[in-house]
Amino acid sequence: MRALPSPAGLQAVGLRKIYGSVVANRNMSIATQAGSIHAVVGENGAGKSTLMRLLQGVERPDGGEIFVDGVRVDFTNPGDALRHGIGMVHQEFMIAPDLSLLENLVLGEEPVKRSWGPLSWIDWPTARTQGQALADQIGALIDWDQRAANAPVHILQFVEIIRLLRRGCRTLILDEPTAVLAPVQVDELFALLRNLRTQGTALLFISHKIGEVMALADEVTVIRQGETVFHSSVAECTADEISRHIVNGELHHVANDEAPQPQSELLSIASLNARSVNRSHTLHNISLTIGSGEILGIAGVAGNGQNELVECLVGLRPSSGLVTLNGIALSALNPSQRRRHGIAYISADRRHEGLSMQASIETNVVAGSHRTSPISHGGWLNRAAMRKIAKDRLQALDVKYDRPSDPVSTLSGGNQQKLVFAREIATSPQVLIASQPTRGVDLNGIAAIHQLIRDFRDGGGAVLLISEELDELIALSTRVAVIADGTIVGTVKAPASNLPLIGRMMLQGAAA
Amino acid sequence: MVNVLVRSLDIVLPLLVAFSIAAIVLLTIGENPVEILTLMATEAFGNVRRFAATLSASTPLLFTAVATAICFRSGVFNVGVDGAFVLGGLAAIFIAFKLPASLGAGLIPLAFIAAAVTGGFWLWLPGVLLAKYEADEVVSTLMLNFIAAGISGYLVNGPLLSPQSGNNVTPLIHETAELERLMPPSTLHAGFIIGLLCIIAYWIWCRNTPSGFEGAVVGQNPRFARAVGISVPAIIILVMVFSGVIAGFGGASHGLGQMHRFSDGFSPGYGFTGMAVALLARNHPIGILFGAVLFGALASAGTTIQLFSNIPLDLVNIIQGTVMIFAVIEAARLMKNRRRQTHAV
Repeated sequence: MRALPSPAGLQAVGLRKIYGSVVANRNMSIATQAGSIHAVVGENGAGKSTLMRLLQGVERPDGGEIFVDGVRVDFTNPGDALRHGIGMVHQEFMIAPDLSLLENLVLGEEPVKRSWGPLSWIDWPTARTQGQALADQIGALIDWDQRAANAPVHILQFVEIIRLLRRGCRTLILDEPTAVLAPVQVDELFALLRNLRTQGTALLFISHKIGEVMALADEVTVIRQGETVFHSSVAECTADEISRHIVNGELHHVANDEAPQPQSELLSIASLNARSVNRSHTLHNISLTIGSGEILGIAGVAGNGQNELVECLVGLRPSSGLVTLNGIALSALNPSQRRRHGIAYISADRRHEGLSMQASIETNVVAGSHRTSPISHGGWLNRAAMRKIAKDRLQALDVKYDRPSDPVSTLSGGNQQKLVFAREIATSPQVLIASQPTRGVDLNGIAAIHQLIRDFRDGGGAVLLISEELDELIALSTRVAVIADGTIVGTVKAPASNLPLIGRMMLQGAAA
Repeated sequence: MVNVLVRSLDIVLPLLVAFSIAAIVLLTIGENPVEILTLMATEAFGNVRRFAATLSASTPLLFTAVATAICFRSGVFNVGVDGAFVLGGLAAIFIAFKLPASLGAGLIPLAFIAAAVTGGFWLWLPGVLLAKYEADEVVSTLMLNFIAAGISGYLVNGPLLSPQSGNNVTPLIHETAELERLMPPSTLHAGFIIGLLCIIAYWIWCRNTPSGFEGAVVGQNPRFARAVGISVPAIIILVMVFSGVIAGFGGASHGLGQMHRFSDGFSPGYGFTGMAVALLARNHPIGILFGAVLFGALASAGTTIQLFSNIPLDLVNIIQGTVMIFAVIEAARLMKNRRRQTHAV
């Protein structure tokens, strides 16, 4: 770490941020340089997003200083940061889906032919020239007339980057840019970022994938518990070294142990078809089977029908076709009846569907079982029994909490997800439908959740695992089915040795 | 303990602000605010008779506030309690003057049952429209209030018009069907006890029944409720019907205990004052009791204060209006949540 401000780029020294009694950032120092990619890694909750908010001017630090090109600055809003050439590419893009990519590019800062207030005339040819020049410069192929809603995710990301460049940004902050991308798209993004580096842009790259950091970055800073604890050039350190600094202890090694051979067929899906209300993605003719003691992974680029498939199986979305569990047809049953037959559901959207964030820990961990004995008896709800069941379930999965009456939002991401498992596994289900089970969970939490899934499998359960993390699918799954555009394009056995095939199938569909 | 303090602040703060504003108004018109507000407090709570008058004025609000809270607690923005109150009252009064007086006190349970069925059916309609067809319940219940006023207005001017009277009233109910006065000469009647029982029943339902638990879960997050296997449409219909039943009871209590006949203007907005009470109490049973008594006190003190001072009734309206503003803020907060949830789905 440098003690003095460097002459160029963005630099932060000793940033501190306190929310009420919680110290989010205690001592953060970081510096970017023109023509260099600086990776920031850390577990969820380590303070990455707070640091980003401070650098971007969304929030003001309670201590420490920020310099741009050696001059001290005091950002009061993101506009300030933008004027100093600092732009942020968010995980969720600020895109108007109904406008074309060109319209999105200039939105809010349109080039005008005559500046007559409301009667101004937008100069579209200039806009196109500007956009195309920047796209050529960084090596992006963009069809400017495409509607944003139809464009692939990585193209939207490129447009976002070009938009910031057009506004004169020389420092770009990228918040986990690869989280939503398929492997080939990641390669395209990295090529583009390398071009940007060559042209002298400073890049701050937030990630929690060490492989990406090693492949892309020049420098790396590790954040742990609100502090920058490690800084090095990537050439001078190893991946293991970085991992150690992130978790400050032993890493649970994630590898696919020899899974037991799957037994009899438990869940069977035959010619499932479904419509989606607000997007064009429908499910076509999906047929899958999962045996007891088996984990079937579903791989696919986000938005290719994974969510719809899960909702159909759980009973939250109408579908045609036949779904049977142990030979019993589930197709006509509602979610509650399906649960009674042994379906458990880990929602991908933990904050809105997996949990009720305002409700108490207790409510969250017993909901769904509240009509069964001993909680309810003869139409009466026994609060004492409910409290006891809640405590037992939380203890069984080692969920750390203060009081059962506290809102569930007081728990960390990993503990929240363990609570969801505690609720879902407590009723001894036969099939676990786990959608993005480790999203927003830190590394230790991920290891614990992977173990829970393995334990469930070893107990004879069947698991349908939907994940955007290929590593996770490979580490856990017996087989991986690939979904693209609402159809299953193929099923891969021994997924660990067939990674390139899975990647190709995800992106090219049945053509692979 | 801290929670209890924070919660009571929800209801105390609006009062403090309201009385401060009233004091400022009084100062500007050259009155002594301490004197007038003390007079008001004495008028509302000064002795047993006055306290009884306050409780009498609060009785309809107990019902309408509980009826509102049942729905709001589950995120159902039902504003149709007033209509169910009116029609429930009309049904009860119809039973109580139409059936033979020989039924004696047996008329009272019959009248309450008729009111419950009417009120329950009345709000079942928008409940089904919301649960099955996602018809906005604010619009449907608000419109149903106008329809209820129209139906009752037609009936008391037509088929049910009292032969002894010129306009707008039904015949008086049989004396045996009247609810007992608890402290004559005050109008406080047994309906107040029934109102208290409704609050207790609401409390027990919330805490000690599976459907009460489900109601809270649906109110906090309908998507979550659906995912854990709770039928959201069933809960919506259930709370709407419960709300209608309680509102109907309120109408029956008001009809048999207070008015003894139905006339146009049977409810001077009890449904909406009850809504304010439920909002300020954040649906909590104890808060509802205190809120209803408070609004009852304002109403009973306001009418007498004109007699003993040259302060106009508008002072009470200022106080009520200020408290209402806080209720509206709470309502806006709920509405905001509600929209966010519909968008999330």
